[in-house]
Amino acid sequence: MFQPKKPSTMNSHDRAMCVQGDSGLVLTTDPKPRLRWTVELHERFVDAVTQLGGPDKATPKTIMRVMGVKGLTLYHLKSHLQKFRLGKQPHKEFNDHSIKDDLQRNAASSSGMIARSMNEMQMEVQRRIHEQLEVQRHLQLRIEAQGKYMQSILEKACQTLAGENMAAGGYKGMGNQGVPDMGAMKDFGPLNFPPFQDLNIYGGDQLDLQQNMDRPSLDAFMPNNDNICLGKKRASPYSGSGKSPLIWSDELRLQDLGTAASCLGPQDDPFKSEQIQIAPPSIDRSTDLDPISDIYEAKPVLSGDGMGDKKYEASPKLERPSPRRAPLQADRMNPMINSGSVAQGRNSPYG
Amino acid sequence: MAMAIDNAFEVDFSSYSTTTTTTTTTTTDDDLACTWNDWGSPVVDWDSLSSERDEFQDLIESMMDDGTGIELARVDHETSNSVSIDTMVADEESNREDFKGLRLVHLLMAAAEALTGANKSRELARVILVRLKELVSPNDGTNMERLAAYFTEALQGLLEGSGGGHGKHFITNGPHYHRDEHHQTDVLAAFQLLQDMSPYVKFGHFTANQAILEAVAHDRRIHIVDYDIMEGIQWASLMQALVSRKDGPPAPHLRITALSRSGSGRRSIGTIQETGRRLVAFAASIGQPFSFHQYRLDSDETFRPSAVKLVRGEALVINCMLHLPHFSYRAPDSVASFLTGAKTLDPRLVTLVEEEVGPIGDGGFVGRFMDSLHHYSAVYDSLEAGFPMQGRARALVERVFLGPRIAGSLTRIYRTRGEEESCPWSEWLAAVGFKPVNISFANHCQAKLLLGLFNDGYSVEELANNRLVLGWKSRRLLSASIWTSPDSDF
Repeated sequence: MFQPKKPSTMNSHDRAMCVQGDSGLVLTTDPKPRLRWTVELHERFVDAVTQLGGPDKATPKTIMRVMGVKGLTLYHLKSHLQKFRLGKQPHKEFNDHSIKDDLQRNAASSSGMIARSMNEMQMEVQRRIHEQLEVQRHLQLRIEAQGKYMQSILEKACQTLAGENMAAGGYKGMGNQGVPDMGAMKDFGPLNFPPFQDLNIYGGDQLDLQQNMDRPSLDAFMPNNDNICLGKKRASPYSGSGKSPLIWSDELRLQDLGTAASCLGPQDDPFKSEQIQIAPPSIDRSTDLDPISDIYEAKPVLSGDGMGDKKYEASPKLERPSPRRAPLQADRMNPMINSGSVAQGRNSPYG
Repeated sequence: MAMAIDNAFEVDFSSYSTTTTTTTTTTTDDDLACTWNDWGSPVVDWDSLSSERDEFQDLIESMMDDGTGIELARVDHETSNSVSIDTMVADEESNREDFKGLRLVHLLMAAAEALTGANKSRELARVILVRLKELVSPNDGTNMERLAAYFTEALQGLLEGSGGGHGKHFITNGPHYHRDEHHQTDVLAAFQLLQDMSPYVKFGHFTANQAILEAVAHDRRIHIVDYDIMEGIQWASLMQALVSRKDGPPAPHLRITALSRSGSGRRSIGTIQETGRRLVAFAASIGQPFSFHQYRLDSDETFRPSAVKLVRGEALVINCMLHLPHFSYRAPDSVASFLTGAKTLDPRLVTLVEEEVGPIGDGGFVGRFMDSLHHYSAVYDSLEAGFPMQGRARALVERVFLGPRIAGSLTRIYRTRGEEESCPWSEWLAAVGFKPVNISFANHCQAKLLLGLFNDGYSVEELANNRLVLGWKSRRLLSASIWTSPDSDF
């Protein structure tokens, strides 16, 4: 963070020395203190400009207000904003006062000018990429949050259902009109959750989902397509695919439609803070090809990191989640973020 | 199948009434015009139904048969080219499909025309609907066939229920769709599937949320008045974003006031109280300071802004999600009352998501009917394109959400004969003085990324500075727009 150093303590002979002021601004110590636009500061600048509606709408004054950085003056912002705007329109040069200042500073020469406009374009491209990454990252987190919430709804309903069914002394049938193939349901005890069963059947040919996984930008991030393939047959159709998102999907389930199983499993507080990053325990369907009955067995398989299976006894009452899960979470977060950032090099999400 | 429909629409929009003509049915009723040998197939006494309009009779008859005659003609034509047998067969197949689809469209249009056109004939409509029912089923067949099944049922509902009002706040599902009968598990499963298979819900929520986040970036207290909170999932991602925001005051307090209605028969997942509890629990789990309030609308759904509890220093946001696929239609008076009242509260931001309808011509009911057909056809196609093999999953979503929506849409159109309510709410907001707020680059970018996760067929357009529209192929489906109060200097 910002270190509270006073600029005056620095050696003024040292032209190249940069100091960090109270507000975290990096100022050079030559006679005319120039603000060094660090990556962090520039990020804040970009955020502020974005909030204000883009470089054409933002003014140095509003940016200053929004950024709220002490020591940042209108002068700093004016020139930086100018450069920023130039970055967006590389051809609109040489029209402005501050450009002359810049040129003077840079020993005006035609090559200098060209270098400057290239610089602006680079800055612009970088800015765009940066923003896109931010948006990607946020989108990912937001989709996860929705997934978590959805999970709570499903689990609550499951519990309610379980309660009803037990009270009713067994499961009769849910009056699903038109949803076919309820025959499989007869094999189940009171704690089943029929529509999800059927959805198992829905996921008949899961090779389809591949086409949805082929996303250029958020390649490693496959939000909820996963959930359609409720069936247990996930591993085999995908094994030959070689697509990393599939492996990823087994490891990192954002949302687990088969939460019927978690009705059986220990799921005390679905929103414990440690679980924010990862989906709660789900059934490992990747190894078990026996479609439906396993979900409703007494021993749901907890999929850890896709490597091992953690089995534990399930009882209708809820238990505390296994503490072993905690260490995995840190691991899982990283691949997601990393692969998210790698993705930007591939295709532009602009399409 | 989609292509056939598009072609049909492009061709036919200008001439709705060419397929139906006058019939002399002044004195006919069931016994004279149609005898029913069994439930399915009427024996039609054409003479009493039609006058000397042979072309009309031919048209209807051609619709009634299986069109094999026409297919033979096609085959003949194709054999004259030197095309391989396989291609021919395949072409024939898809041609047959297209033809079938076209025929369904024509039948539907004829039924709509018969129901409301200049020369109304309930009898004719009934006959056409019977024929349609023979051809389609909501559970199997192609997209077009299932879609036609729901439209047929909706029209049937209009035919039977027409003449009776549903009251001021009609729950706009036809009599054949009893939402209450949908078990909660079905509804939940369908909702989950809907979100997984399509970006509609997330598009609406995320676009609104991003605009909200930007608008309240420097606020400590945020108050959102939500017109139709349903299950509350929109706020999960907003809370997550608030908790992790880096700029602005940390740990902003979020307050949500949710409007609740006394009516029953909601397809929603639980009650408002349950939604509130869920949100409170979720907020607690991520460390978001939060409180939840309920505003009970009385039976006439008049919104009284003075009854909303406001706190000094809070940023007020009005959230109005209208036509996400799992929502029911709300009576226009209710929406108008809400938005008018909202204006007096001087909100920082108003977020509005509504369905995007086609241009309102003077086609009357039939025109709107066809537009609605086009709309839902695009929705069906979008689901199928993403998940072609998950037919049953899609059928569930169709049954639980889209079917009732189709019925609701037709009921609304029927009641107003396609003339009123043609103004989208975004235009209404502009007209009463709300000011548009620009959609930021980040917001637009997020929408594109989101759609990219689903299918290339989706598109997002920025139709105005403050409006993003989600579409499937060439059809615009859902519009998200951002506004601020007329007096605001935001």
